[in-house]
Amino acid sequence: MNPRPRGTTAPSAFTRLLETLRPDLVRFAFWLARDRAVAEDVVQETLIRAWKSRDELKDTAAARPWLLTIVRREHARLYERKRLPTVDVDQVEALGDPALASDGDAGLEDLRRAILQLPDEYREPLVLQVLGGLSTSEIAAELKLTQAAVLTRLFRARNRLRTIYGLPPAEDAE
Amino acid sequence: MSNNFDCRHARLEIGGDPQVQSPELDAHLATCAACTQFRAETLALDARLRAAFELSLTEFRKPASKAPPARRFALAASVVLALLVGGGAWLFRPQAALAADVVDHVTHEPDSWQGHDPVSPELLAAVLARAGVHYDIRLPVIYASPCPFRGHIVPHLVVQTDRGPLTVMVLEHVKNEPEGRFTEGEYRGIVMRAGAGSIAVVARNDQDFDGALKDVLDGVR
Repeated sequence: MNPRPRGTTAPSAFTRLLETLRPDLVRFAFWLARDRAVAEDVVQETLIRAWKSRDELKDTAAARPWLLTIVRREHARLYERKRLPTVDVDQVEALGDPALASDGDAGLEDLRRAILQLPDEYREPLVLQVLGGLSTSEIAAELKLTQAAVLTRLFRARNRLRTIYGLPPAEDAE
Repeated sequence: MSNNFDCRHARLEIGGDPQVQSPELDAHLATCAACTQFRAETLALDARLRAAFELSLTEFRKPASKAPPARRFALAASVVLALLVGGGAWLFRPQAALAADVVDHVTHEPDSWQGHDPVSPELLAAVLARAGVHYDIRLPVIYASPCPFRGHIVPHLVVQTDRGPLTVMVLEHVKNEPEGRFTEGEYRGIVMRAGAGSIAVVARNDQDFDGALKDVLDGVR
């Protein structure tokens, strides 16, 4: 007989939890990877890794940030493992993804394309903050940066997006 | 207001995290209309950002164009027929250890039998994809979980049939075990070859196993 891992969360409850959070994980992975197929691969690996490590999750209230961290790591591991080429921002395949469309709101679609064209160092903290709900200190810990560096990156990310939104950019934070 | 906290600091703090307002920023905003407007604009931008990040997942339900093709876990009609025509005939008893491991696994997930609602296609796809298998079935899958089994992660599914739920474990790595039926404690089951590996189908003893098994196998596309 094989010993089976036993966690604080019953397997079926844990499965339901993963199922509930999966949509956000897919979105998060998409904005990180800028490629739907890669995002789906990352989320699949994340779900498996989360399942195998479910004993580590002591409080289901912390499941979301815990899973987002796994997504980030799996995304990084995927690039490391498969040595995926870095994609030029103008050639991001996701720019033509139908998932970017928004019925009757062309501005939102433009904003999505602009987010995809942000450099990784600006896009990643922005996704963690706005979609992931992490504080700047949590992002700093996640990205191994100082909080000041995170603030600067987030400021610059928003500053670039202000023009898409029809606003004048602010003076740079340097 | 601190002498060191000017508009540049205020805009960095607002642009970095518009939802948070430090006492220094609060004091600055009380005297600076331009930064107050900047904050209002940034908060409005953030509302749009939140909407922008919330992609519709409808499009994600379609298979990704670049995903590697899954290996098909096909059940040949002849194999199915042989098993069913054979009726209660035992082909070869599977190694007791395998049957015991399968039943032990099932026993430790009693909740898996309790589901009523089908799991989402996304979850099912994720569970199957990890094993690199494709398992098409018309019947509703009410439980799907990637489970550790004999050193591998395998799909553990529970399929709802008219005669009750049946557990199906897709054991792609089990290649050399004899096929056949087994009875272990409160469970009955069968191990059979499928695709490059095997599948184990398990029912509780009080079920019409042959009927439910036929439902499952008939439902495989």
